[in-house]
Amino acid sequence: MSKRFVVYVLCLAMLNLGSPLVAQAELVTTLQAVEASTRAQDLATVSTALARDEVRAQFEALGVEPAQVETRVAALTDSELRTLAGQVNELPAGADALAVIGIVFLVLLILEAVGVIDIFKKFP
Amino acid sequence: MTARGVAGAALLAAATLALPGCAAHGPVLPPVVAQRYAASVELEATPFFPQEQYQCGPAALATLLSAAGVAVTPEPLVEAVYLPGRRGSLQPELVAATRRYDRLPYVLPGSVDALVATLAGGSPVLVLQKLGAGPVPGWHYAVVVGYDASRDRFILRSGTERRKATEAADFLATWERADRWAMVALEPGVLPPAADLGRYMEAAAGLEAVGRLDAAAPAYAAAARQWPTEPLPRLALANLAYARGDLVAAERGYRDVARLDPADAAARNNRAEVLGQMGCGAAARKEIEAARALAGEGPLAPTVASTARKIAALPDRDAAGCPAD
Repeated sequence: MSKRFVVYVLCLAMLNLGSPLVAQAELVTTLQAVEASTRAQDLATVSTALARDEVRAQFEALGVEPAQVETRVAALTDSELRTLAGQVNELPAGADALAVIGIVFLVLLILEAVGVIDIFKKFP
Repeated sequence: MTARGVAGAALLAAATLALPGCAAHGPVLPPVVAQRYAASVELEATPFFPQEQYQCGPAALATLLSAAGVAVTPEPLVEAVYLPGRRGSLQPELVAATRRYDRLPYVLPGSVDALVATLAGGSPVLVLQKLGAGPVPGWHYAVVVGYDASRDRFILRSGTERRKATEAADFLATWERADRWAMVALEPGVLPPAADLGRYMEAAAGLEAVGRLDAAAPAYAAAARQWPTEPLPRLALANLAYARGDLVAAERGYRDVARLDPADAAARNNRAEVLGQMGCGAAARKEIEAARALAGEGPLAPTVASTARKIAALPDRDAAGCPAD
């Protein structure tokens, strides 16, 4: 995480402290009710708004078309945003099976060629 | 043994550990299937989209969504789930994209039993596998479309292979290393076999949370039928009534939940909020006090406190026609 980003986050957090309570319906949403009954709320300390901003920035940095970033972020729930924030680079990214098999084969081939292993006897 | 021999033996030993297929193993499918499920299942009608480079996410998701009745190909899904900088797709985005097509993304419990039950129930399953060894990340999405207990094999749509029969133990090893992650896409209103209330409601609430109310409604209704004594599906339906502006139905719904479970702080908080909006300040006060006592210091406490502040500003009397307890 860059310093600039940390500063940005802190600024936003400070702005939030001073903001008046927004007049809106104070309903417990169904998702909140499910989460309250199924798991600990340790994640709830992370502000969803900050998580959303962070995911947005990470998607942009990873080459998502600007026009698509908003649509993709909007399709994520609050808890998914909190999971993703700061982890977009660490979570498993399902990709290509062939690339992996290729690399393993290549490594074996190189080891064979330099004489460390000798498993391809039938192929001179 | 020469130094070269030792190095070779060590390497082969490492390969044996890292690559599935070399280790000895017992049968996987027969004990799970044993008389409870069909001996073999193959969902042959499941479509297949051979993946482009790195794009098994969009391809696997297109396969899953098509099987759930959505007319979609991998191309539009690339824009929805592919992360160029990661050369792959992340699990939460597959879940999110499923919602964009009004399908319920149900993440299965990570067991062979759940996998087999789902296939036997007629739904293909999208799985994450870790195929790589050591430092080479080999995350891969595939769709399981069947199994054959007599040969102990799973049948997959994977990468560029339309029908890949994999030894169950090999599959299990790669699935295990991906924390046994698996999901299905269901038409709203259809329950997965052996559905778990919490998992199912989380998936359905996800639809509502991103604004797919018309998909969430039948999903909640199905849950209310499946678990008639559970308060959560009824709370969900009442919240949906509120979201659609039907205060009377919402209030009645919350009251039913509170009757089903007198200790449900969420239902009481929400009923208090709705009563306040209906001009029933006195009834709202009574209800929010009950909610406050039930919420304690728990996760719902901040919301309840916030509702209470709002209600405290209302006149302490009920308009004509306010509902009784």
